[in-house]
Amino acid sequence: MRIFKLFISLFITALLFTGCKSKIENPKWVINEVMVTNETNFVDDFGQRSGWIEIYNNTAGTLDLGGRYLTNDHNNPTKYPIPRGDVLTKVKPHQHVLFWADNEPFNGTFHANFVLDPTKENYIALYENDGRTLLDEIVIPAGIPVDRTYGFPQDGIKYNEEGSINAVLLDRVTPSSNNAILEENPKVVDMRDNDPWGGMLTITAMLVVFSALIGLYLFFKLSGNIATRVSKRKVAKSGTLSAVRSQTHLSGEVLAAISAAIYEMKEDQHDIESTILTIRQVKRDYSPWSAKWKSLRKLPN
Amino acid sequence: MNTLLSLADNLQTFWGYTGFYNVESGHIIMILIGLVFIYLAITKEYEPLLLIPIGFGMLIGNIPFNEAAGLQIGIYEEGSVFNILYQGVVQGWYPPLIFLGIGAMTDFSALIANPKLILIGAACQFGIFGAYIIAIEWGFAPNEAGAIGIIGGADGPTAIFLTSKLAPHLLGAVAISAYSYMALVPVIQPPFMRLLTTPKERAMKMKTPRVVSQTEKVMFPIMGLLLTAFLVPSGLPLLGMLFFGNLLKESGVTRRLAETARGPLIDTITILLGLTVGASTQATTFLRIESLKVFLIGALSFVIATVTGILFVKAFNLILPKDKKINPLIGNAGVSAVPDAARISQTVGLEYNPSNYLLMHAMGPNVAGVIGSAVAAGILLGFLY
Repeated sequence: MRIFKLFISLFITALLFTGCKSKIENPKWVINEVMVTNETNFVDDFGQRSGWIEIYNNTAGTLDLGGRYLTNDHNNPTKYPIPRGDVLTKVKPHQHVLFWADNEPFNGTFHANFVLDPTKENYIALYENDGRTLLDEIVIPAGIPVDRTYGFPQDGIKYNEEGSINAVLLDRVTPSSNNAILEENPKVVDMRDNDPWGGMLTITAMLVVFSALIGLYLFFKLSGNIATRVSKRKVAKSGTLSAVRSQTHLSGEVLAAISAAIYEMKEDQHDIESTILTIRQVKRDYSPWSAKWKSLRKLPN
Repeated sequence: MNTLLSLADNLQTFWGYTGFYNVESGHIIMILIGLVFIYLAITKEYEPLLLIPIGFGMLIGNIPFNEAAGLQIGIYEEGSVFNILYQGVVQGWYPPLIFLGIGAMTDFSALIANPKLILIGAACQFGIFGAYIIAIEWGFAPNEAGAIGIIGGADGPTAIFLTSKLAPHLLGAVAISAYSYMALVPVIQPPFMRLLTTPKERAMKMKTPRVVSQTEKVMFPIMGLLLTAFLVPSGLPLLGMLFFGNLLKESGVTRRLAETARGPLIDTITILLGLTVGASTQATTFLRIESLKVFLIGALSFVIATVTGILFVKAFNLILPKDKKINPLIGNAGVSAVPDAARISQTVGLEYNPSNYLLMHAMGPNVAGVIGSAVAAGILLGFLY
């Protein structure tokens, strides 16, 4: 068990000292696309046009927005409490939900109690149920053109490789749908374009397969050597036949034959037997195998 | 008179619902293939635990019926019993459960005792990528080629898992192909094993493996998971369940769980998996030219994997010391197909040296092949999903 503990400690230490790079994570809710001035664009259920805020579930599970807070005020994080109990606030993985910034909260769950002002910078934030924990925020610069949206070119990708915010004036307005329309799996397209013969994938994959299994090979080679050494030391101390086996390169069959010979010698059993052969009848008067009482059920007393 | 007319109408309507009315040549072909599977399983005992459910599933899936009637009986009709059972295949949760059972029944001692045999399992995965290249050449998209290539991993659950993610429309063809060739391993491999080895090599005896301690057996699933899953996290469903099952077996304190995993659980899932995969070969969706191509590439992938394994051992022997050389006949076992591929090494080995028992040695690359194919599936999933 000591070796086991040693290896576990080594593994954890190695892990701590290698490749644990920190990077900025994209939030699980992302304020994905915002329209400040809506003149000819998307219409709500009441036939009205107003600014809107699209929120994106950036996780692989269904999340509920009910009970969270949407605000456009730094000093009032709980400005618009998103009503609980509406099934429509449950957003499926990597899907969107749209809130109207029309200051008409009685028009339904998705109508916030504020409007966006095109003449100045708009701050929009989403807060957790406690009203203190910030889930996501975005600052929409002043002067966003009419019927244009500001947000992230790739849904949910808030930060780029350098860790700065990706938000831009978007080319297309896509309420409640993906900002980047994917017609085909980009990985497949990439593979088809860059590796038309499949050779690079083959080489890469074989390298990875070999690396994984070489890792296992090296580990068990090392642990095997240690285990063999420990076991040899143990049996050598015990002074048993196993000790002999551990010290020699004789096969199991040869050692079995030697052991049998030693055992026979010790027990005084050898090839030259006494020539007296005794055959004695085993006397057995009674056998219960066909006894009648065996096949009868005993009655209770 | 009207009553008679109505009776005739009823009978005509009923006739329209019968299999006899709706039958097409494709159904007959698939039913015949199903019967061949059942025949092979019963008379030749080729993978009976899989071929019987798959073969019978093919009969179930190819009973013709009026699809337009919306009777909710077909495997592709949402809400039907078979469709519900098929979700385990489509969503990919049967294969990891099978892997749990495989882990709980596999003894990795041969591998731990002689860890260099792991590398044979890695080499044989070239069958997957060789088939991938061929599939690309034959006009399949990269994701489809990945799903077809995994047939070369000779591991049914892995093939089903990966195909359900990469190319669900090829699931029936890939699954049937993988299981068929796994059953036909005793036919496919021996000619190449004989062709690529000399009589002297075939008769070569290997050193008896050392006894493996309990601590090493317990460490294997833990370190196996950490080392492989850190490298290929996308293989986690398969690798995680495989090593978890093995830990249940080797820990010595979860005997009941291990027995359930390698007994009733794997049996139940095998029945459901086999039956629904068989039933998914409904002629209307299965009988296509692509399916034929998948079968051909699948056969080639097994050949490539076998050849690579044997050649790798021969090359490896060039650098190994004389007393540690490996019999190339165990090279085929790296293709996975546990334990049939290892049994073939034993059978062919015994033909050339009746006192040469290669089974325990062949089990090393054989189980390494399972790990290798799960890693390869993870790589393909990472690159193409």
